[in-house]
Amino acid sequence: MRSVNETRTEVLIVGAGPAGLAVAACLRREGVAFEVLEQAGSVGPRWREHYERLHLHTFRDTSALPHQPWPAGVPGYPSRQQVVDYLESYARRFEIAPRFSREVRRLAPRSGGGWVAEARGPEGEERWLARHLVVAAGYNREPYHPRFAGDDGFEGAIVHSRAYREGRGWRGKRALVVGAGNSGAEIALDLFEHGAETAMCVRSPTHVSPRDLFGFFPAQLAGLAMSWLPARVADRVALPLTKRLMGDLSAFGITRPALGPLEVLAREGRVALLDIGTVELIRQGRVTVYPGIARFDAREVAFVDGRRAAFDLVVLATGYRPALSGFFDGAAGGSRLADAILDERGYPRVFGAEVPGAPGLYFIGYSNPPTGALFTIAREAKRVAKGIARVSAAPSEVRA
Amino acid sequence: MTGSAPALRVAPSGASAELPAELDFWHPVLRSEELEERPARVRVAGVDLAVFRSEPRPRHGGGRVAAVLDRCPHRGASLSGGAVKDGCVVCPYHGWSWAADGRGRSPGNPEGSFRTVAFDALESDGAVWIKRAGTAVPFPRVDAAGFLEIARMRVRVRAPLELVLDNFIEVEHTGKVHYVLGYDTERMDEVICRTEVSAQAVRVYNQGPQKPMPWILRRLFRYPPNAHFVDDWTTTFAPVRSVYDQYWIDHTTGERAGDYLRNTVFFTPIEASLTELFVFLHAEATAWGRLGLNSLALKPITAWLGKLEVGADVKMIEGLADKSTEIRGNQLGRFDKGPLAARNRVRSIYRRGVAGLDAAREPVEE
Repeated sequence: MRSVNETRTEVLIVGAGPAGLAVAACLRREGVAFEVLEQAGSVGPRWREHYERLHLHTFRDTSALPHQPWPAGVPGYPSRQQVVDYLESYARRFEIAPRFSREVRRLAPRSGGGWVAEARGPEGEERWLARHLVVAAGYNREPYHPRFAGDDGFEGAIVHSRAYREGRGWRGKRALVVGAGNSGAEIALDLFEHGAETAMCVRSPTHVSPRDLFGFFPAQLAGLAMSWLPARVADRVALPLTKRLMGDLSAFGITRPALGPLEVLAREGRVALLDIGTVELIRQGRVTVYPGIARFDAREVAFVDGRRAAFDLVVLATGYRPALSGFFDGAAGGSRLADAILDERGYPRVFGAEVPGAPGLYFIGYSNPPTGALFTIAREAKRVAKGIARVSAAPSEVRA
Repeated sequence: MTGSAPALRVAPSGASAELPAELDFWHPVLRSEELEERPARVRVAGVDLAVFRSEPRPRHGGGRVAAVLDRCPHRGASLSGGAVKDGCVVCPYHGWSWAADGRGRSPGNPEGSFRTVAFDALESDGAVWIKRAGTAVPFPRVDAAGFLEIARMRVRVRAPLELVLDNFIEVEHTGKVHYVLGYDTERMDEVICRTEVSAQAVRVYNQGPQKPMPWILRRLFRYPPNAHFVDDWTTTFAPVRSVYDQYWIDHTTGERAGDYLRNTVFFTPIEASLTELFVFLHAEATAWGRLGLNSLALKPITAWLGKLEVGADVKMIEGLADKSTEIRGNQLGRFDKGPLAARNRVRSIYRRGVAGLDAAREPVEE
């Protein structure tokens, strides 16, 4: 049998994105030992890969990680690069040195308590043993890539938004962005700004709100102010307000769901589109909106309303999946465990706190609330680190 | 480009007379609030356009703006003197009307088929933008996500584009011309000036001791004593614009300190020796910050200061003894690398339209 490199630590954190770094920083302050495993070669790898135009959709001051505010000179909505710089300085400040190039294969509970992670590292197979396991592998670990009839015969390019960097190469070309989430809307804007003839495919009803209410007040702050209210009650305020600020967009192909924005989020996990200018282009006829895709032909896309149009580029801004089940499936009795801790869509049933029935297991960064993902990560990280620190003060149950 | 509008006669096919290449690019021509129900006349690169709202703008945005040549193809009347009806601009002379797409209709010749030259028009960032219809060019959106808008200004300068641009892309003049934003002439030798050029952009980074500012402004911008002022801008040429990041750093720690301004300036040639500046002033601040003082004080004072400084620049440029755009033969210093590189790109990119943009792949010869 090949030798497997085995390492013990108190807390094992999977992922060195914002969530993993936040937990690590809080543990550092609590004086708890930890190790961070990261598949990529740097912290915040997703933020490095995202398209160039991306800015944080939530406000800087309410999107900081624990114990370190954003530095001076960063505008209200930090750019992609500023987020990367912030994460790097955060890791430096709290002396977080993740083990890079570690591909975690399997996560499993140990019979005597604690957790084991099997990973492939630069030197071969590794086993990491820890009393606590924090999974922070990212809400957007795996691109969700829907298939359409005839898409393999399409002669244009089809790329997922993860592979989209910028619109520079598409000047004068015809582009279709599928999906009306925040990435889809911003990528459509980017393509238009680079001189592409741009269209969007909006497949289902969606709520749209200005990113800044009345032009200056971040919608996220309004979301925070109402976060203590039940969704249905908050919608009594949010729905009339966004309707008033955005007007009726149904003439342009964007309809509102029957439920209010916060209820849609609570029930379906879909956030409202925080508009940063795309809607203005749609209203002025600069970006065409199509409904769902019926099928692809060699050059054209046929839509469910019978319209057809030719495109050179199709960007699938269709979102991501956390892809967590693979971590647990491989374990003995793994799929039972996966069923217990993950819901039908593969998201953790419990996050930001210890998972009931799986002592020592935590998920962080798996919600997408109206208060902002980073805001929630910061709150979850502090809570989880405190809980771990309390237990770790007691004698360890992990045995050799 | 000539000083007067070319004789732009339009064939019934809609084929236009020659439009200058500069019109290939998007230009901001009016502040949104300047365009009401009546059409407005704007001039870009010597061409007069009638700009109008073909669909009124609802409270929450949208509507449509449109632009056609400001010369009725029928008998040469100025359409901007007409009215807007049913989404068309109606000629004040014989009542022929012209739609946003250039199609014409004559009440007295209902069977006739008429066309004028229509332009692409768009409203964005509080401005109305126009360009030649159908060109595939980037849209130069004002990037101020999370900044507070201080002001939008439209200022005309009686000088050629090149000379106006020269002033706005070097800091040596700030010692003599500017009141507060810039560097002391006596300490200009301490100012670092780094120029980076690429095929499509010229970036200049300046850093040096902030020239003395009145106490009240120092408090307003919250920078420490002995702060260094940084003026870091990038100029691009499709169309010609510069984006300025202006802030202070604490000279002892090297850390950012104090406020942060972002100014976006478009340089639009109106005629051969008349240039328009379209200035978007922004500050990194929240409207509600400092207990609302940002809205109450920072905004009006910074806007006033911006107008003051731009006004001083305009006065200096308009008073130049030599308004020739030839820069070769001048005796130049270390601050003039930016203007020199920009000059080349105005010629090789902007003045050539889309063809210039297509060609701008490799850095041009300096």
